[in-house]
Amino acid sequence: MLESRADSSPFWQPHDPEDEHLAEQVEHGREEHLLLDPLPPAENNAIVLESMNQTGKAFWMAVLGLGGLTLAFLATWIVQIFSGIGVTGLNRSVMWGPYIANLIYFIGIGHAGTFISAALRLLRMDFKRPIARAAELITLFGLAVAALFPIIHVGRIWKLFYMMPIPNQRELWPNFRSALFWDMTAITTYIIGSTLFMYLALLPDLAMARDHSTGWRRKIYRTLALGWRGTEGEWHKMESTSNILSYVIIPVMFSVHTGVSWNLAMSIQPGWHSTVFGPFFVAGALFSGVAAVILVMIVIRKTMRFGYFLREEHFNAMGLFLLIMSFTWIYFYFAEWITNWYGNLPMEKAIQRMLTGDLAPLFYLMLFANIVVPVGTLWSRRVRTSLPAMFVICVFIQIGMYIERVVIVSGFLSRNELPFNWVNYTPHLPEVLITIGTFGFLALMYLLATRVVPIIPLWEVYEGQAMQATRRIGRAILPTRTESH
Amino acid sequence: MTKFMLLGLFDNVTTTATVVGEVRDLGIKDSEMEIMSNIPYASNIFGRKTPRQWFLPFALGGMAVGVLIAFFMSYITPRLYPIEVGGQGLTPVPPSAIMYFEFMALFTMLGAFVGFLLQNRFPILVRQMYDERITEGYIGVQVLAPSEAVMEQVVKVFENHHAAVVKREDAAGFPNQGMRHLLFWGGLGAAGLVAVLVPLLLTYDVVRLPWINTMKDTVVVKAQEGPRRAAPPDAVPIQGPVLIAGQPATERLPDTPESRERGAALFSINCAMCHGPAGNGEGVVGLKHFPETPPLDGERAAALSDDAIFLVITNGKNRMPSLAENLSPGDTWDIVNYVRSLGGAPAEAGQ
Repeated sequence: MLESRADSSPFWQPHDPEDEHLAEQVEHGREEHLLLDPLPPAENNAIVLESMNQTGKAFWMAVLGLGGLTLAFLATWIVQIFSGIGVTGLNRSVMWGPYIANLIYFIGIGHAGTFISAALRLLRMDFKRPIARAAELITLFGLAVAALFPIIHVGRIWKLFYMMPIPNQRELWPNFRSALFWDMTAITTYIIGSTLFMYLALLPDLAMARDHSTGWRRKIYRTLALGWRGTEGEWHKMESTSNILSYVIIPVMFSVHTGVSWNLAMSIQPGWHSTVFGPFFVAGALFSGVAAVILVMIVIRKTMRFGYFLREEHFNAMGLFLLIMSFTWIYFYFAEWITNWYGNLPMEKAIQRMLTGDLAPLFYLMLFANIVVPVGTLWSRRVRTSLPAMFVICVFIQIGMYIERVVIVSGFLSRNELPFNWVNYTPHLPEVLITIGTFGFLALMYLLATRVVPIIPLWEVYEGQAMQATRRIGRAILPTRTESH
Repeated sequence: MTKFMLLGLFDNVTTTATVVGEVRDLGIKDSEMEIMSNIPYASNIFGRKTPRQWFLPFALGGMAVGVLIAFFMSYITPRLYPIEVGGQGLTPVPPSAIMYFEFMALFTMLGAFVGFLLQNRFPILVRQMYDERITEGYIGVQVLAPSEAVMEQVVKVFENHHAAVVKREDAAGFPNQGMRHLLFWGGLGAAGLVAVLVPLLLTYDVVRLPWINTMKDTVVVKAQEGPRRAAPPDAVPIQGPVLIAGQPATERLPDTPESRERGAALFSINCAMCHGPAGNGEGVVGLKHFPETPPLDGERAAALSDDAIFLVITNGKNRMPSLAENLSPGDTWDIVNYVRSLGGAPAEAGQ
């Protein structure tokens, strides 16, 4: 006996069996699964639209605090532009410091967005339905902030046009044999691709917002929705376009962090010159990215009252994903280290000072945050579905992955082939302020975006709910999957 | 004959499918019907054919553009502006592969997206039949009725199936938007192309502007080439001051009692161990030197100008080390003033 919800009554009207035992199971299924618990779309639309209009005291306090951090970032940057890059702790051997580590980190947290919305879409993973947009927004803003760092890092900002891929008499660009140019091309492709991908899936929700809002919002949404009505042709073409973009953007996503890693690996710096760096960086990017998505899910669930959309099942699935990424990261890190250790080259041995030297505290904190914390806890479903626990774990992973980038960039640079070049690096105030400030800037952009962009992809949730079915076998009612393709 | 545009809203799929069938029985073609929903229902659910679409040309066209750009980047430009790098050809394969991959990916995505926009004729710039309840889960059926009689029949079908809303309007109120979206994107695309191409025309030297953009064209003064240019007044030589006849070493401090007092204190710290507390050359360390430390109150010191003393303190002389790292220029002048007060010629500043 198949009971599809969308069949002969609206999909959001409950079909409660009369049998008490079965009704109980149906009720249980509703509590467990978002897709088995449809509300009328009008109500869901209202939840999302109200959450966008919610600008209470806490919201403005957050805007003020994050705005302050952003101002601190801008002010420090201006000071650095006027006094030169010398105000930072960067020196002759460690010429790549936290700015480059930040670039790697922010591009990294952008990876989960595309993976969740493109790869899980092609694999038809239902748990990604309410998460995809929040993850894509991290991708966009993470990339936007990451793109700031080469500009901050060059110091002489008025020479910025050197980065433009145009030929000129300086004969610096476009030297496509430079790893920096590969990276820049990959990042540009990725930014444009993920913007298109996000906008495409946003159209039906923009149309929803257009239909149920007033004033300036209605004008903006009307323009952005491009006249979307949801005709068969529009949906069908959106499906095809999404498929094409998904297939293309997954390899691009892999190429982006590989490109970033090649900026390091194409040099002959000991510790960087490694073939494993490409996949290792991609694994690290997904690891920190998934953790960032979970953090954002927790925050928007708490502050925007999305308890209906973001349920235990979603945190459970994302926690498992995080655990898998943790294993992957551990594997790559070990693979990189054992090659260095076994090779026993004198200059590569210098980096083994991490085990006992001055970087040892950072190194062991990183191992604790990236290995002990996730592997030690995420195997338990109770931990995966507990928001406070997940919050703490994901913060640990962010710290661990950030340290990993700083250690790779500054730690390895401080020991190279020539011992007279050995220096230690200590961050000065400008790097610290700019780094903290850009985190604030990212959070501020995200916060403001949550008031304008429908952060839950409602149509995907509705699609899942309408196509979801239950099947009765014996005395049990079990969820089944239906596909309309 | 006036045509009519009708819209009925239904709250479930089965009813909609039945309505579509009954409207078709009235002699209305599938192409004159349109179904709107807030969920991507597959067309066969309503007993209709899947709409046609053409994405292959757009994706392949985009890919071809990407190939051309990558070829331009990796083959043409290195030949227009060759950069020799040791051990690498002008167009090595691995970096070229990256260029081809990235640009093909980028333009395939752009091509598919353009295909999406153009096939849907987005943005719609004309009035459309629509009801806001469609985004609340209702399924809209839009029918173009060729005459009033047919329109009445369709309305009857809608009402028999309990349509939530029935709208009927003169079809003339919903004009075909024709080429407007093409004009919109064409204009935007042309503007974008101009914005990209104009700088490229300049940088690829297709259009040459007489601006100075190379270092070789800027004014240069070679080493040891005269005339020597005057240093700005506040310039401080970084390798230590050099005495130039007739020019002060740095701007001196006037000889005042306060300056001498400070000078005395600094003298006792930095100088007295060799030159002696009284400046007579009989310091604890100075007595052990050979040749002996010169006294500062004799004729030999008196013969030196103030600037020369300044330079001796700053740069050192014979066995005397440089004190430049220990003393600022101001401190040094204080000591000069103090040393002058020990005897010998009066300070030059007073003259």
